Amino acid sequence: MTAVNTTVEAKSAPTRSWRRWAQRHGWTVGIWMLLVFLVVWYSTLIPRFGGFQFSTIINGGTAWIFLAAAQAVVVIAGGLDLGVGGLLVLTSATAAQFMDGQPLAVAVVMAVVILIGSAILNGIVGWVVAVSKVPDIVVTLGSLYIYQGLALMMLPKVGGGSSDGFRWLFTGSATGIGTNPWPAVVMITVPIAVAAWWMGRTPSGLSLYAVGSDETAAFLSGVNAVRTKIVSYAVAGAFVAIAGFSTLAIAGVGNATTEGGTLTLNSVAAVVLGGVVLTGGAGSLVAVVPAALILFFFNPILSALGVNPNQAQVIQGVLLVFVMAIAGLIELRRRRRS
Amino acid sequence: MTLPTAHQSLLSTEGIAKSYGSIVALRSVDISVASGEIHALLGANGAGKSTLVKILSGVFDSDAGSMTISGSAVNLKGPGDATDAGIATVFQDPALIPDLSLDQNLTISGLRHSDVAPWLERMQLAELDFGLLVRDIPLATLRLVDLARALAHDPQLLMLDEITAALTPEQTDRVFDVMREWKRMNRSVLFISHRLGEVLKICDVATILRNGRDVAHLDLTGVDEAELVTSMLGAELARESMSISRDAAPVQGAVTDTDNDVVLRVTDLQYRDKINGVSFELRRGEILGVTALEGQGQSELFSLLSGDHRPTSGEIEISGERLSARSPYDAIRKGLVLVPGNRHEALLPQRSIRENLATPLYNRIGRWFSLVGDESERVDSVVTRLDIDTRAASQVGRLSGGNQQKVTLGRWLVSDFEVLLCFDPTRGIDIQTKAQIYELLREIAAEGAAVLMYSSELREIPLVCDRVLVMYGGSIVHEQDAGTATEEVLLTAAHGLKSAQA
Repeated sequence: MTAVNTTVEAKSAPTRSWRRWAQRHGWTVGIWMLLVFLVVWYSTLIPRFGGFQFSTIINGGTAWIFLAAAQAVVVIAGGLDLGVGGLLVLTSATAAQFMDGQPLAVAVVMAVVILIGSAILNGIVGWVVAVSKVPDIVVTLGSLYIYQGLALMMLPKVGGGSSDGFRWLFTGSATGIGTNPWPAVVMITVPIAVAAWWMGRTPSGLSLYAVGSDETAAFLSGVNAVRTKIVSYAVAGAFVAIAGFSTLAIAGVGNATTEGGTLTLNSVAAVVLGGVVLTGGAGSLVAVVPAALILFFFNPILSALGVNPNQAQVIQGVLLVFVMAIAGLIELRRRRRS
Repeated sequence: MTLPTAHQSLLSTEGIAKSYGSIVALRSVDISVASGEIHALLGANGAGKSTLVKILSGVFDSDAGSMTISGSAVNLKGPGDATDAGIATVFQDPALIPDLSLDQNLTISGLRHSDVAPWLERMQLAELDFGLLVRDIPLATLRLVDLARALAHDPQLLMLDEITAALTPEQTDRVFDVMREWKRMNRSVLFISHRLGEVLKICDVATILRNGRDVAHLDLTGVDEAELVTSMLGAELARESMSISRDAAPVQGAVTDTDNDVVLRVTDLQYRDKINGVSFELRRGEILGVTALEGQGQSELFSLLSGDHRPTSGEIEISGERLSARSPYDAIRKGLVLVPGNRHEALLPQRSIRENLATPLYNRIGRWFSLVGDESERVDSVVTRLDIDTRAASQVGRLSGGNQQKVTLGRWLVSDFEVLLCFDPTRGIDIQTKAQIYELLREIAAEGAAVLMYSSELREIPLVCDRVLVMYGGSIVHEQDAGTATEEVLLTAAHGLKSAQA
């Protein structure tokens, strides 16, 4: 009886569930609101805001979103993948090598093959992390270099290309520049929604949270921790492949000299901003999506404000830490109160 | 020594052995659990009970030995295999994921709410909100949910490792009901508890482990606690432990009534709706006991005193000075130190015993680089004084629970303090170590410090304390001299009922 009293507080059920919803999803709502605010603000800063500007943001943000989602899946399962940036370069270079000038059907088959290959490759990295007991930071730092090197072997010089139909899928235009954001919106929404549902509702998806939250308890609950870690890295690999395709679709040519390390760090920043706990076990892809877009969006906003690009980076860094400090304070207050 | 042979053997092992590196946990264990019996697994801390449970439930692989279930040999590769073989376990450590809701935890185990609902109803937890995150649910409730989850697998053998340690007496009774029902269905229960009274009340037979071997198999009918203790500890240690009493403890410090001796004065303390006007005084040389059922404000009281939370209103005075602690750091500087209920909150599990003991000294300016002179000696003398088993000295996390608890106590002996706050310092600890801790607390008091000790085990109150306070619903409802405090009186008060005496 005493135990029941301590869990069920004397508040009416709807109030309780609403408060709980707000508590659990407050960060997600807040980050979406911040994104909307930034878009509205941006639209007042530039002379004209229409379909072109909108699709530029969505199209350019696609790679950021999938890279951040990849990182989020690994971090939620208690890991960290520094290799994602390198894998993006590798997958886009591979796609550029094999898709150039192909009809859409062939390009799509290629994409599926590359996506599966990327998942397997990164799954192997996950296996090494899970079995070797070498810290994930070390293993994935290694995989970053390996991916980057493989990309250069695949595509030594800037070149290759994508197919027109494939470019339309990610940019709404065969040239990569257009005013139609909807294909990209669908390409983002469907995979993210499926993954978010899987992670929140199914035993295998919830296992990611379980292993990230308390590996011992997860094991005692019958969760296979090694398999779960491998799965988290493999799913990340698949997401990174999509990010790679999007990058290629926008640029139109493959470029294996892109710095993967910087891309990785962006993904970590987006994951943090998206409210995913770096120690694992908590967070949601639904909040990582706007976080990635916001980070992508910093530069256009600052340039619209007329900020010197050199100062822009400093401001970006200060803002990131500032936002996270505010979040930390909110969390601290919440804990004090409960 | 022989087991009743009327029943068929459900689970039996032969020569199970397990080592962690150089530390041998199990040397050779033969145990046989028959169908339709409640089987106690007994032994002091470090005897190997938890290791055996983890091997029987597939968590660890054994190094040697064999295991048969219903006559056929099995080789469990993981907890999932054990469930499939008809063994479900409630482990000593919670096996629920803190960051997920109860519903999501069930999903992970492949269960639906309807699978556990009837069992939760039996535990009177039918109204439990399954959308709550596990981290926001009290430990006692989680233990029962863990049990319901194990029962939902409909096991032939139910293994319960220290499930009652965190439960209230009524909750314990409900667990016993379930165990009896399992027995009626001709299934079995393997029950581990440090509370021998419980064991004698519910169990049919017992296997006793000592130093990683099964040293005795007993039929428990007609056995009393003294005989059990003898078997568990071996003859000579048992005499020692049975003789823990006020007489054996060092002479208590002279408790006088002068106001000067009051070292801690708490006046009308309030904290949200958890603590409603608590006042008491604690004198030098005194051990003041606090007892209560689960969740009556005792943990909040200790966290206020240790500076972890700030009271809504009311005053805490230490040595005549008002305590206005913003964090435990401030409380510690005033000499108010805490041994928390959960040892893991206090220890640095990967560091050595010496480092753990020396942590309170690290904050002193000038000690940043090394311990100087006498401090190193103080650490050494505490290790000796506490009789800490130093086989795993390089990593506190590898010590047994009892030795870990000694380290959490010992670190305050290394530094100085006015008032020692101990929250259930003997939970889940074997008798022998308990006795050592009682003696240590009495010594601390005799040396002039004051001790405030919460205990969930009513029997230890008269053994250790001078006075006792009973809390109920956030208030102190009963106070008396601890020497005359019987279990009945304390239990009545703890349930918020007026006893004849009070």
